Amino acid sequence: MIGLVRAELLKLSTTRLWWVMLLVTLLLIGVNLAFFIGFAGNPQGGLPALDTPEWVQFAWSAGSGGGIFVMILGVVMITSEFRYQTITGTFLTTPRRERVIAAKLFAGLIVGALFAVAVLIFTALVVIPTVMIAGGELSLGESRVPQISLGILASLALYTLFGIGLGALVRNQIAGIVGAVAWAYVIENIFLGVPALQVVGKWLPGGAARALMSIDVDTGMDANMLPAWGGALVLAGYAVVFAIVASATTVRRDIT
Amino acid sequence: MTAIEIRNLSKSFGAVRAVDGVSFTVEAGSVTGYLGPNGAGKTTTLRSLLGLVTPDSGEALVNGKRYTAMATPLNEVGAVLEATNFHPGRTARNHLRLLCVAAGLPVTRADEALGQVGLAEAAGKRVGGFSLGMRQRLALASALLGEPKVYILDEPANGLDPAGIQWLRGFLRHLAHDRGAAVLVSSHVLSEVEQTVDNVVIIAGGRLVRQGTLAELTTNGEKTVRIRTVEGGDLGPALEKAGATVDRLDDGALRVHGLEPEEIGQIVLDQRVVLTEMAAERSDLQKVFLELTEER
Ligand SMILES: Nc1ncnc2c1ncn2[C@@H]1O[C@H](COP(=O)(O)OP(=O)(O)O)[C@@H](O)[C@H]1O
Ligand SMILES: [Mg+2]
Repeated sequence: MIGLVRAELLKLSTTRLWWVMLLVTLLLIGVNLAFFIGFAGNPQGGLPALDTPEWVQFAWSAGSGGGIFVMILGVVMITSEFRYQTITGTFLTTPRRERVIAAKLFAGLIVGALFAVAVLIFTALVVIPTVMIAGGELSLGESRVPQISLGILASLALYTLFGIGLGALVRNQIAGIVGAVAWAYVIENIFLGVPALQVVGKWLPGGAARALMSIDVDTGMDANMLPAWGGALVLAGYAVVFAIVASATTVRRDIT
Repeated sequence: MTAIEIRNLSKSFGAVRAVDGVSFTVEAGSVTGYLGPNGAGKTTTLRSLLGLVTPDSGEALVNGKRYTAMATPLNEVGAVLEATNFHPGRTARNHLRLLCVAAGLPVTRADEALGQVGLAEAAGKRVGGFSLGMRQRLALASALLGEPKVYILDEPANGLDPAGIQWLRGFLRHLAHDRGAAVLVSSHVLSEVEQTVDNVVIIAGGRLVRQGTLAELTTNGEKTVRIRTVEGGDLGPALEKAGATVDRLDDGALRVHGLEPEEIGQIVLDQRVVLTEMAAERSDLQKVFLELTEER
């Protein structure tokens, strides 16, 4: 099994997509952070001032924006096998297909977590000097840095799993990526943004991820958030469901 | 033990009966050609054998086991399927290495196998830039990784140039005859495998139409004798009177169907003509193949 997980990680590391994705992720987070820095303390933007613990909390959670990219990476981890028909060689090597799926999911967790680590290091490299220069004091506890970091770690790892599950379900790479983008940018935003729908939204992966991090992004929605442990449970539940979907749709199908 | 055993295998895709009650075996130390026109059901049979397609009924066993029950399949079976099973952005070496890692084989096997198929120089190149022939060689290299004793190849000659086909023939014969492997190789072009195979299994429309050694298949075909006489001596009418069908060839020779050589010899003697040429012709295997497969 360790060999299978290593093989799955090798599949990623021997092609170029992973670092393109990492670059894009860091770029997006960088843009977000620049925005947060530029508009800090701006009353219209509703952003706290640079030297406050609230700002750190805000900026630190920018990394959660990486979810969409690891989700796409997860989609590609499985759909590229169908696109290039490498799935044939994969199943010839490991005819017990549920083992392949398990290895992919496990590798997905690792990749998602590694992305989170990269994202957090990048965030730290931007946020800490910024706060120092602004003359603020960095209080990790007060800014809930450990909790947010853990939340980002868990949610990026689990979003990779969603991607793998989604990919197994649709098998078509373009459909999978479009689905992931639609999910992250449209569906979740609607359910998290429209107050009447937040009852549902808090149960979606994005809502659960926010709960896990307990970020006060939108004060109007706090009442509708799950507790942090609830968010973690919901995310884990989704991962299990997607894992089951991934195996069920792949294990018996004819590869022709 | 029988290396490959297919017993009453059937598989439908919707209304199409792709494989319909096919049975045959392949023994160690021999090359078997699995022949049939496009759409005959060859790929479906081979993919059933490799656990990629689940048959509706019947069995397809390698070394007495279902492929999906094998703990280390790469050590038992080497498979070459369609030519496109590679990620274009990955190098040949990395493609093989990750198969080694997944199969628990030492990664050094990757370079060894590349050397065996003559791809050592291209090991570090991305597969996206490979020709069809190079891809076929890489596919063959992946089949060699675990040094198995059973090889299953689906149209491996597709995309190879004549030199490549020549090389492949020698390689398959070497695997079977020198290393004692069982080789099952499919093709829709008889001439590609005619010089390689010991046994032939012919399938058309999902059903087995003929199986036997190459020699059996040839002798079951119609016998013809080619004769040529000196100028002026025409044997045609006499041969036809004796029940033969005679084709007059462009070069002046006659091709005689339906008579044994001894009978023709007797007629030659009776007619007192002088022969300049007389040869029993091997029936054209390609013709037999076409006849067997076309009536479906
Ligand atoms: N996945 C599939 N779905 C539907 N029909 C298929 C599928 N695979 C093969 N077939 C059909 O089954 C028949 C046999 O195909 P195949 O085994 O590929 O033949 P061959 O390899 O001899 O050319 C053909 O009629 C083909 O169209
Ligand atoms: Mg075929």
